[in-house]
Amino acid sequence: MNAAEIYKLSRLAIFWLSVTFGAVWVACWGVGVFIPSLITGKMPFLLQVDNPSTTVVFIADLLRSLTPILSLLVFIPINAMFMVLFERRSLALFTVRMGPNRHGFDGLAQTAADAVKLLFKEDITPRGADAFMFTLAPIIFFAPSIFGALPLLAAVTNNHDLFKVANLPTGIFYILAAASIPVVALVMAGWASNNKYSLVGGLRSAAQAISYEIPLVLSLVTMCLLAGTLDVVEIVEQQKGGILNWNILGGGALSGYDKLAPYWLNLVDTSFDTSAMFGQFYPVPWLSSIMAFVLVICTVLLFGLYLTGACAEINRIPFDLPEAESELVSGYNTEYSGIKFAIFFLAEFTNLFVVSSIATVMFLGGGDNPIPKWILDRLPLEPISNALGSLLSPLIKDLMFIDPATFWAAFWVIVKVYSIVFFAILVRGTLPRFRIDQLMDFGWKRLIPLALILFVVVVFARTWVVCHG
Amino acid sequence: MANLLDRAVESFKRVGEGLKTVFMHSFREPTTQEYPEKIQDLAPHFRGRLALAVNPDTGDHLCISCRQCERVCPDKCIEITAHKSPETNKLELIDFKIDHGLCMFCGLCTEVCPTTCIINTNDFEMADYSRESLIYDIKRLTLTQDESTYYFDKKELPRPKPKAAAKPAAAAGAAGAAAKSAAAGGDAAAKAAAAKAAAAKAAAAKAAAAKAAAAKTDDGETKAEPKAESKSEEKAAEPKADAEAAKKDVVEAKTEDITAEPKADAEAAKKDVVEAKTEDKAAEAPEKDAKKDVKEAKADEKDPE
Amino acid sequence: MSTEIKSTELKTDEMIINMGPQHPATHGVLRMLLTLDGEFVKHAEPVIGHLHRAQEWQGQNRTWFQYQALIDRVDYLSGMFTSWAMARSCEVLDECEVPERAEYLRVMVSEMNRISSHLLWLGTYLIDLGAMFGFPFYPFREREKLLDLFEEIAGQRMMFNYIRIGGVQRAPNDAWLKRLKAFTEEFEDRVDEYEAIVTENPIFLKRTKEIGILPLSLAKQYGVTGPSIRASGTDMDLRKTKPYSVYPKLEFDVHWLDKPEGGDTWDRYILRIREMRESNKIIKQCLDMLPTEGELSGKKQNAGLRVKAGEAFSSVESPRGILGCYVISDGKDKAIRFRWRNPSFCNLSVLSELLVGSPIADIMAIFGSVDVILPDVDR
Repeated sequence: MNAAEIYKLSRLAIFWLSVTFGAVWVACWGVGVFIPSLITGKMPFLLQVDNPSTTVVFIADLLRSLTPILSLLVFIPINAMFMVLFERRSLALFTVRMGPNRHGFDGLAQTAADAVKLLFKEDITPRGADAFMFTLAPIIFFAPSIFGALPLLAAVTNNHDLFKVANLPTGIFYILAAASIPVVALVMAGWASNNKYSLVGGLRSAAQAISYEIPLVLSLVTMCLLAGTLDVVEIVEQQKGGILNWNILGGGALSGYDKLAPYWLNLVDTSFDTSAMFGQFYPVPWLSSIMAFVLVICTVLLFGLYLTGACAEINRIPFDLPEAESELVSGYNTEYSGIKFAIFFLAEFTNLFVVSSIATVMFLGGGDNPIPKWILDRLPLEPISNALGSLLSPLIKDLMFIDPATFWAAFWVIVKVYSIVFFAILVRGTLPRFRIDQLMDFGWKRLIPLALILFVVVVFARTWVVCHG
Repeated sequence: MANLLDRAVESFKRVGEGLKTVFMHSFREPTTQEYPEKIQDLAPHFRGRLALAVNPDTGDHLCISCRQCERVCPDKCIEITAHKSPETNKLELIDFKIDHGLCMFCGLCTEVCPTTCIINTNDFEMADYSRESLIYDIKRLTLTQDESTYYFDKKELPRPKPKAAAKPAAAAGAAGAAAKSAAAGGDAAAKAAAAKAAAAKAAAAKAAAAKAAAAKTDDGETKAEPKAESKSEEKAAEPKADAEAAKKDVVEAKTEDITAEPKADAEAAKKDVVEAKTEDKAAEAPEKDAKKDVKEAKADEKDPE
Repeated sequence: MSTEIKSTELKTDEMIINMGPQHPATHGVLRMLLTLDGEFVKHAEPVIGHLHRAQEWQGQNRTWFQYQALIDRVDYLSGMFTSWAMARSCEVLDECEVPERAEYLRVMVSEMNRISSHLLWLGTYLIDLGAMFGFPFYPFREREKLLDLFEEIAGQRMMFNYIRIGGVQRAPNDAWLKRLKAFTEEFEDRVDEYEAIVTENPIFLKRTKEIGILPLSLAKQYGVTGPSIRASGTDMDLRKTKPYSVYPKLEFDVHWLDKPEGGDTWDRYILRIREMRESNKIIKQCLDMLPTEGELSGKKQNAGLRVKAGEAFSSVESPRGILGCYVISDGKDKAIRFRWRNPSFCNLSVLSELLVGSPIADIMAIFGSVDVILPDVDR
């Protein structure tokens, strides 16, 4: 039993994640809440100003509106550093090794050291390369992962005031548009490197991304169809109330069961007429129930489809064809070194985090607690939350520092996202790589028809069941 | 269609089985050995860095300058400098060099050594900054008495007989001139350490003399000489008086060498060098020479044939 | 209209690609000159010689005793077999009897070496196929245990110098035998684990089935041996067809596939897996049958080691195929001539035919499956 290593890894994860999210939150609070309130004189217990000048108000608004992007700029590098370490330590667990554990506390400083090393490395531009494009490619590769993730911020923080501004009514559409930009960068990198292997890697990535974007988008479109909206905040809002409401279980097809469960289990007033309410959710008694379970199967398959497409989209094993080492040396980033390589590396992990966040928001209920609400309400949690509330009230009320709902939303998002990341690492540790023609074959002949079939089935089935949308 | 579905389910099952197997590995103890902190106990016969053992009981240097190792080495990385003592008519070891940069650690030298003098230690951490520093001279090669005891016990080697008791000639040599007898290592029983330092220094002095006579220029040797003095490990541990006594001995030895019999000594050294050179080339010579050398040294160990 | 389109198919120029010698997947320093028509290989030419170390010439310029220490380097993954091939041909010349205990030890360490060589192949082959981060560590973990055992009995982990002309160098102690026994007992389970991850994995099947098909006739023309030819429909294994040492006394099967139309890369994979299991069985039997007392060598091991005049050839079944050693001696301390028959060389030559027509992505899957060790090719 390898308790020691597992304990070390979880200790590492808890420590690093709390530091990361603490740092991000303090930064956001400082720029988005504290300074604006201070200069406009709205801070409780501090200097009160009745009528701040327009300039001051403008500066305060500017700071507030910059907060979402600031949070990502702080969060992405620190988080990518941890993800690299997390991946290495997890792979070490799977392969009965220890992984990096020398630098800092349990190897905490390992990726920081690696990053510093990469920054100090010579930045080589190969002879015959198109220097401008060569430099531009990593930037274009990295940028979408920042601005593409913006609409997700409100969704994962329980629609917090600070991040509301970044939300869009067509959030999913925007995210998908941003996610399809990096492929241009890969082709650019491959072409600009003046290397046959890089070129082949770049072209492969273009072919792959185009093929796999279709099932990816189709699965998300089907989910939007079930939700009836493109707004990620609303999609998260719909899924609140426990695991049975999540999109992965039929996109709300089981909400009726969730609502009626307490009555059936005699947890509340039994005189309530459940059949009328049941009829509201499932109009045709037996057919609706069957269709609800068809929807559950469909959405689970859609979730798998999404993960497969996302894996291909971000070039992870088993779809890491663009950088297939045994064939293409290192694919599109063969010629990259130093900071440019570091940016590619950073972006790859950020992309992994972003697609996992999308999966969390679209399928796993965002920051929702998996325990159904009617169980949670009956747990003796109130005294604890009251005690905590009174303890933290100076922070919450006076400094406007922390909002419990936001905290729990962020907590569950982290848990869910890192579970998906962990699964991706497990897959990476197990599967070999597809061949390029088999990859295309799999994408076009299996995934796309499957996605279309699921789309049709969902459209058919949801007419009999009341879903979120 | 049903076939396709079957295949899909089968594929899922297989992938799932693989994922499960990999995942279950995370509950096993890691096999990693955290190297610098925990060094694995190496096997007794591990072929690491070469070294020259001394007699674990008496501290005598075990080498009898028979040159068997020099001859058997496929890489020709061993270089022995010895001369025939004019008094005892025996071979005396002046210097023993192993170029560990050339060595391939085949261990053949340890197999042919008649006195189990040259052995493979368990040391494998030999990284260094220059190729020259990989050339080990007698000072760096010779193990202490404790280390020799450790390796003799670990490898379960038979203990060599004490030299002085068995060979009166050697004893005479030791009594005659403690400082001069380089190979025997001086008076074994009394002050082993001091004599050893003196012996090594005398060896260096002699090597220098031999070099001058043979007009041989070798970078490795010239560099090795000052190192032997500066790097002597015993120096720190020894009381100063001992070291000074040793120094005096060396001076004596030097003057003796130079004044009393410079020519004979130089010629002997020259002859040795020439011999060593011809041995390298001649095909049949090694066997004959080995016999001759061994006879001269009066070793009771096995014949090379 | 349609015929017109057919006749004016899009034609592109052929591209010549140098794969290696610095390519990460060419197992050392092989250079492959590929002429590509689009994705597909039109012509493949392995260019060898980057690792040529004049091993045969060295044999003629070293004494017998010295050369024994050098030949482990010919095929560094299965040094026991090169030593054994040389020892056997010298023993034939010398008419010297090898003690039974030494024979058992030879079989034991050689089969251990076969396992360790196949384990390394398994790990690197999966790396070739892209499973870079997880699976390859498992075979290496087991191989490490074997190397530890080698270190104890022979003194080093890869350059053993253990099998000598006339016998073996050293007898194992009880602790060593116990450790080996423990290894053989858990090894079956470990192989089961490898198989659970790899053998039926759909992606692995897709990557290896129906590619690199080597017909029996072609294999015979090129002199392919070892698991590669046994996958193509012959049971040629020197341990059975031309038994040597104590193999006749041991019970084991030679695995082969009755596929004269040619085995694909997956067949070659599965044969190696089965061979590991068989080797494990052989080791178990050797452990039981090993005489506890007795001579280790029929010939005295010292610098004056000589072999009687004459010429001889003998071969052993190495993990890669038939490894032969031809030697001429005039009774002096050095050989007149050494000539090696290296399995990797023949297995590599067939690549120029195997690769033709396959896409670039299959090159490494095919190349890896014939199991070539470059120093063994170049000598």
